Amino acid sequence: MTAMEFIEGPVWYAASAIFVLGIAWRIAAIFMIGRARDLSVSRRSPIVGAAKAVLLHSVPHGGNLGRTVYHFVTGYLFHIGLFALLLFAAPHVAFINAGIVALPWPAMPHWAFIIAAEAAFAGLILLYVRRLTDPVTRQLSDVDDHVGVWLTFVAMLTGCLALQEAHAGLRMLHMLSVEALMIYFPFSRLTHAFTFLLARVNTGAALGRRGFTP
Amino acid sequence: MVLLAPYAMAQSPPPFPAESYSGPNTAQGGQSSPEMWRDIRRGKSGTVVFPRPEGGVLIQSAGETWRLRHDTTVAYGGGLLLAVLGVAGSYLLVRGRIPIKGGRTGRVIPRFSLVQRIVHWFAAVLFVLLAVTGLLLLFGRYLLPPIIGQHAFALAASASIEAHNLFGPLFIPAVVALCVTFVRGNGYRGVDFTWLLKGGGFFGGHASSLKYNFGEKSWFWWSVVMGLVLSASGMALLLPSVIGDRSVVQLANLAHAIAALLFIAFAIGHIYLGTIGMEGALEGMTRGTVDENWAKEHHDLWWAEHKTSATADIRRAEVAAAERGDRAVWEAQR
Amino acid sequence: MTSAASAIADAPARSINVQAAVDKFNALTNAHIASYLDACVHCGQCAQACHFHEVTRDPRRVPAMKLAPITKVYRRHKAPFAGLRRTLGLAPELSRKDLEEWEELIFDSCTMCGRCTVVCPMAIDIASVVALSRQAFVAAGLGPPDLLQAADNARDRGSPLGVTREVLKDRVEWLADEHETEIRLDKPKADVLLLISSIELMKYPRSVVAMAKLLNHAGVDWTLSSRGYESTNFGFLAGKPDVARTLIARITEAAEALGARTVIVPECGHAFGVLRWSGANILGRPLPYEVRHITEFLAQHKRDGRLRFKPIDTSMTYHDPCQISRRGGATADARYLLDGVASDFREMTPTGNYNWCCGGGGGVQALGRAAEVRHEVFRIKMRQVSETGAAMMVSACSNCRLTMDESKAALGWDGELESLVELLAVHLDDTASSAPRPAR
Repeated sequence: MTAMEFIEGPVWYAASAIFVLGIAWRIAAIFMIGRARDLSVSRRSPIVGAAKAVLLHSVPHGGNLGRTVYHFVTGYLFHIGLFALLLFAAPHVAFINAGIVALPWPAMPHWAFIIAAEAAFAGLILLYVRRLTDPVTRQLSDVDDHVGVWLTFVAMLTGCLALQEAHAGLRMLHMLSVEALMIYFPFSRLTHAFTFLLARVNTGAALGRRGFTP
Repeated sequence: MVLLAPYAMAQSPPPFPAESYSGPNTAQGGQSSPEMWRDIRRGKSGTVVFPRPEGGVLIQSAGETWRLRHDTTVAYGGGLLLAVLGVAGSYLLVRGRIPIKGGRTGRVIPRFSLVQRIVHWFAAVLFVLLAVTGLLLLFGRYLLPPIIGQHAFALAASASIEAHNLFGPLFIPAVVALCVTFVRGNGYRGVDFTWLLKGGGFFGGHASSLKYNFGEKSWFWWSVVMGLVLSASGMALLLPSVIGDRSVVQLANLAHAIAALLFIAFAIGHIYLGTIGMEGALEGMTRGTVDENWAKEHHDLWWAEHKTSATADIRRAEVAAAERGDRAVWEAQR
Repeated sequence: MTSAASAIADAPARSINVQAAVDKFNALTNAHIASYLDACVHCGQCAQACHFHEVTRDPRRVPAMKLAPITKVYRRHKAPFAGLRRTLGLAPELSRKDLEEWEELIFDSCTMCGRCTVVCPMAIDIASVVALSRQAFVAAGLGPPDLLQAADNARDRGSPLGVTREVLKDRVEWLADEHETEIRLDKPKADVLLLISSIELMKYPRSVVAMAKLLNHAGVDWTLSSRGYESTNFGFLAGKPDVARTLIARITEAAEALGARTVIVPECGHAFGVLRWSGANILGRPLPYEVRHITEFLAQHKRDGRLRFKPIDTSMTYHDPCQISRRGGATADARYLLDGVASDFREMTPTGNYNWCCGGGGGVQALGRAAEVRHEVFRIKMRQVSETGAAMMVSACSNCRLTMDESKAALGWDGELESLVELLAVHLDDTASSAPRPAR
């Protein structure tokens, strides 16, 4: 077995398993903690509140755009760029089509890849640089915040380095860094990619039933 | 045309049977035309089936000249970078790290705002990524193959060109933002030339300075000019088909390499002084505040204006720095 | 260091039971709370919404910091992979130092106004986490003495400000005489049980008179009850669940004895929030009555035509008490009451559900050491009001009112503060019949 076969074979399957099972366990474990039924009489539907919260908290609202515009812009640059790369980059589409499931969409053209990558890098660097310099985020940050950013950055970087698709070594590097990210993911704050939904739904339901979804 | 070749061959048989003619299979047959070849060598454009810019030029002789200039640039540029590294290294060896002579006071003065620091580090991250990949592309082919082998070098070069092309365009807004956020206070004043005459205090003595000294101001303008040259030439290199004219692209290539080398050479000095070369300098750009004695020793005129905002309440000073940079004192006076 | 922090530091050494805090945190971490602790990405945007951060610019006062103690316990004990983290030594136990350092943030620096939730991209309800964190801190033996004392007063004497049954009777009698208004106390049966807040009874007694006048006029079958009269719940605010339960039980017993179907909470935001949304959960069974804030109740009667008011020409704006508007869902009622009454009504920016807190909610009003920062918070309100150009700021929470009155005095603000209920009582249109209009 060559190194490449090993990295794309057993290591990939192991990383995928840890990623999927880890996240599933993390979410299941939160649910399993359980919660007593709210005995107060609701004013409005908690379901509507939950749906509202999920949508509302995707954008600044309540007159707070001016105060949070930095995170709004850089956050979206990063996340949209990242998801475009993840789901539409030609090598990813080929990889997913070949090994996992036939995607019903085409790969994006090269120029779109470049724009997505630039948006993602600009967003990530700007967010991280602020984390390091803003007294508020410096106060809040812990090791996990830094490790998560660095692993994501390296995975994105190695992906872009391998863009010529001419060297197995670069592909290997990218696969390895992505696998490292996937293994770290379920144990870290990166799971906010999934838990954000739980938090929004919980607040939306709990406060929406009171009459106002914040 | 290559794609069309098999098609053409399939459609029509060769005009002459091979046994009856042995010269080149062209309209001129076996005749040689020195004039024609001379013209071609000089870059004269001929007629082609698919016209496109420079499509009729068979030999692009200016490339030879470019190659020569490029190699010269590489040689001198390499020398320049080694020289700067040498100077910084020798200074460190001989005179050591520049300390805060009066020691730390524990009182700090706000210096750089959050916006300035974010812009600085955004530009810095991109600078490092671009410098590393750019240097690898420029010098790699001469230095790396003997060390890491042809295959590994090809891999590194492939990675570098992709990263360089990707991060390059992001550097343009970074340079513009750098220019906008740091231009205030970077105009030259009389005191800067006194500073220069005193050798910046690097060899003893004290050289007075405002918020930025002569060296820092020069670094600012140097960054802006080199950044703009790199941006313009970089875009020409990234989108040659938009430029069209090969001579412009060749010029852009040389300008890009020269500006980059000059930029990196100065940056080595900047990074050296900002980190290992001088005690107390880096925190201005990380936490936004500097120790009062550092300010007094390196920017006495700036310190004199801002000493009223010096405080031992470091958390508060950092917040003030984040919000207003060193302008807190000005606003208090207003 | 802030004055509050130094006050804590200067206090004599206390015995702190860290394990009790850990146990309490563990017991109170349900799936909702866990999802919050798992979702915070430390982006710090909540700082932008918090009035305490806004006026102090202190990076420690970023709301997300208040999640730290419970998160530490969660990561070690209850979180997914907690065992793995413990084994690897990656999840240290909560320390005495943590508790000491966070006490000021949990008690003095949070009014549980919920403004941070609005800007949080994860919609984390930090206020609810602070409420339960207080319980853990108190279990460990921490908490501001004045707040804890207020809770004990409520349990032992019936009210945080010492309004015992006897004081209640005396004050009510005196008020009824003084203002020539029938104030019903201890009627054997009534449809509606009216609660009072001791802040009102002691500091703003006209408010009690105003409520009586309005309810009488609307023809409501109501009474006060000396079995359960105090609406504020300092047990909840001070992190003492047993006291919180006792206080809710008193109200419930009083209402059950009266056969009341409705309990009216007076102008007090937290009193409303606690009874309306947490009361049943604290008591462990659904409340056998409907809880309405006085503004909700009056709005209903205005809607039904039982209450009419004379126009008020003074330009005015309305300060939304967080627990009534943003976290109470009754934002529209106060405005409905003023609609057609206040001829020159001006909204602040931001307003309604997004309004800035007064700075004294969540029991912070009761903390002497937090006075300075409360006054600073009031500057936000001063600016907001002055931007509207309104001559008067009306509110429907006596706790907001007391907070703002104190700050008004401290800062020498010349704006006028008024209670909505008192204002309406003064402008009650007596000529109109109190007979119910046909239902709409």
